[in-house]
Amino acid sequence: MMKKLSGARIVIEALIQENVKVIFGYPGGAVLPIYDELFKQNKIRHILVRHEQAAVHAAEGYARSTGKVGVVLVTSGPGATNTVTGLTDAMMDSVPVVCISGQVPTHMIGNDAFQEADIVGITRPCTKHNYLVKEISKLAESIHSAFHIAKNGRPGPVLVDIPKDIQTFETKYGGKKHTKSFAFYKPHTKPSFDTIVKFVNLLEKSKKPIFYVGGGVINSGSRASLYLKKLLKITGFPCTQTLMGLGATPTSDDQFIGMLGMHGTYEANLSMNKSDLMICIGARFDDRITGKVSGFSPKSKKVHLDIDASSFNKSVNVDLLIQGDLSKILEMTLKYIENKRISFSKEKISAWWIQINKWRAKNCLNYKNSKSIIKPQYALQRLDFLTKHLDPFITTEVGQHQMWAAQFLTFNKPKHWMTSGGLGTMGYGLPAAMGVQIAHPKDLVIDVAGEASILMNIQEMSTIKQYRLPVKIFILNNHYMGMVRQWQELLHGNRLSESYMDSLPDFVKLAESFGATGLRISKPGEMDDLIKEMIKIKGPVICDVVVDPKENCFPMIPSGSTHDQMLLGPNDKLEGEISEEGMVLV
Amino acid sequence: MTESHSKHILSIMVDNEPGVLARIVGLFSGRGYNIESLSVSEVDSDRFLSRVTVVTSGTKNIIDQIKAQVRKLIPVHNLIDITELKSFIGKELILMKLDIKQKTVLKIHKHIKNIGAKILFEDKTVIIIEFSGTPTEISGLIKKMKVYNIVELTRSGLVSMALGKDYIRR
Repeated sequence: MMKKLSGARIVIEALIQENVKVIFGYPGGAVLPIYDELFKQNKIRHILVRHEQAAVHAAEGYARSTGKVGVVLVTSGPGATNTVTGLTDAMMDSVPVVCISGQVPTHMIGNDAFQEADIVGITRPCTKHNYLVKEISKLAESIHSAFHIAKNGRPGPVLVDIPKDIQTFETKYGGKKHTKSFAFYKPHTKPSFDTIVKFVNLLEKSKKPIFYVGGGVINSGSRASLYLKKLLKITGFPCTQTLMGLGATPTSDDQFIGMLGMHGTYEANLSMNKSDLMICIGARFDDRITGKVSGFSPKSKKVHLDIDASSFNKSVNVDLLIQGDLSKILEMTLKYIENKRISFSKEKISAWWIQINKWRAKNCLNYKNSKSIIKPQYALQRLDFLTKHLDPFITTEVGQHQMWAAQFLTFNKPKHWMTSGGLGTMGYGLPAAMGVQIAHPKDLVIDVAGEASILMNIQEMSTIKQYRLPVKIFILNNHYMGMVRQWQELLHGNRLSESYMDSLPDFVKLAESFGATGLRISKPGEMDDLIKEMIKIKGPVICDVVVDPKENCFPMIPSGSTHDQMLLGPNDKLEGEISEEGMVLV
Repeated sequence: MTESHSKHILSIMVDNEPGVLARIVGLFSGRGYNIESLSVSEVDSDRFLSRVTVVTSGTKNIIDQIKAQVRKLIPVHNLIDITELKSFIGKELILMKLDIKQKTVLKIHKHIKNIGAKILFEDKTVIIIEFSGTPTEISGLIKKMKVYNIVELTRSGLVSMALGKDYIRR
């Protein structure tokens, strides 16, 4: 005889069945029964955050660094609405997250009850799917379905809203195996064979190919990275990666020609522009990548490999679509190449490589270093040099520091780079770093931050203290919302409206007040010692690196421009005015 | 790019569960797509399935994007673009309330008979008629009846079906 369990208990049992080890959350009235059940068990560890937004970002960091589903538990009303930014972030960056929220009891729903919010309505557009569990009989099914949906197909966040009375009602629970119909969602994962044949044909014919690799490769799993590495080797083609794709294959590889897009390298963007074959793998032709769509890679044939059909032909029309799980597509491609004994002549693309190397020789990431003031690029170069051998996990906030981190750090393994790409959420990096550190307690986790972004979720220092998380926070402090200032300089007549960060805290004292170590430097000569000391310290550290307040991030493709209209440095002037069309772009 | 817009009838089979219509409508409004007509009702009470018919318009790319986005919704079982099938029918139902006066009543009756509409209710002051037809026929009817005093009217939105055996599977 199966025993009857309370809804709250079923939640915990179902999470255990889903192999959940950690959840990030914050208690409140409408989830008390679940917190009570959490208290009575020891299989799931609960991490108490200090703000629900941070719970979601932490779950994202956990998910992105492990490939598992990140889990969040929050209360109704404000607890739930605080997750909206995090859920939207996870939606945009395809991160598998399950968020369980408490809700007022079913008979109170719609009554404007205390701490009631229509969170299923609010999160409908920012989740992959969501559930309001109105009957206890549907509870287990909803939770197992949530996990199934979050991690299959293109991953994303799923919210399960559970009214308080449902948490106290009782029903039988036979485990995941006996929960009916949770696996109805079956995304298309197997590519058709003839598209693979066409794909290889295009690869064979191309003289100016480029692999354009996105975060989908990382989401597909380590096998996809392995196959892609192999395909790169066999073909000898150049490869660029998006912000989300960094580390999909090692960025130290010679075939890697840098990140592409608005702040991508000269060689990557020009290769995209002049190529005759573009192979987009798990990326989505985002506006940060394409620039002005009408001038985007005008002469290339385009192949798009993706699991999500809605990514096809969304902003850029492509010539060949291959829908499926990337690791399957790449595996089938390799097998076909092997079976047909196809070899790729390096000669065919040698002129292309000569051209690319000419672009490379521009050394577009070059900057004018200084002996008296720390250049942010220099700080990151030293950070990279002194930590590379440790394969650190890097998270970032959003802005100039994020772009510099993408440009100057090395990513040799997938799942080691966590940044808010699609939504651009300031305040992402610190909680994400917590999630990463929880998943990898022994590894070096660094949040590359700006002094403005870090303040958006600074309360999480308290979480870091409580769980003794040795997260290293590397603040490039330039006293400005740097990216905002850069755009104001470039597009708004240098009127620096509200972008100066006045009244900053003393980050050293702030660190100390949370039991962490605070370090501050302002001279380039102190850089290496600071980084070495930061690594040596066992606990959490805030490094306040006072950098050149005026430095800007280059190369840059101004909005509304094409890949061959890049600004390479502060002395590059815009050709004429930015068009009105460009001005309204974000 | 000036691509031609065309009208499409999408027939969508969905789980009949709370919020499913909001998901579809929210997707259209959130992504800036048009809804020209919408009709929805349960069609299979054993499997709790509803059929939603949306009339929308856009360029080929937009229509493809709409279809891909709708298909991604979890409660959506199937979507068929009826306009892409060889042959189909589309019908709409209209109820119309007309103000009647002594001098017009005969004329109205004659008119109703001519177009094949049905009288649902009639008293000394108003007459309510029912008519079903293609959207063009319905618009034609409204135009014709405008000479009388239309008190109110309501339209069901288009419902549509393919001819032959191409039916919408689950």
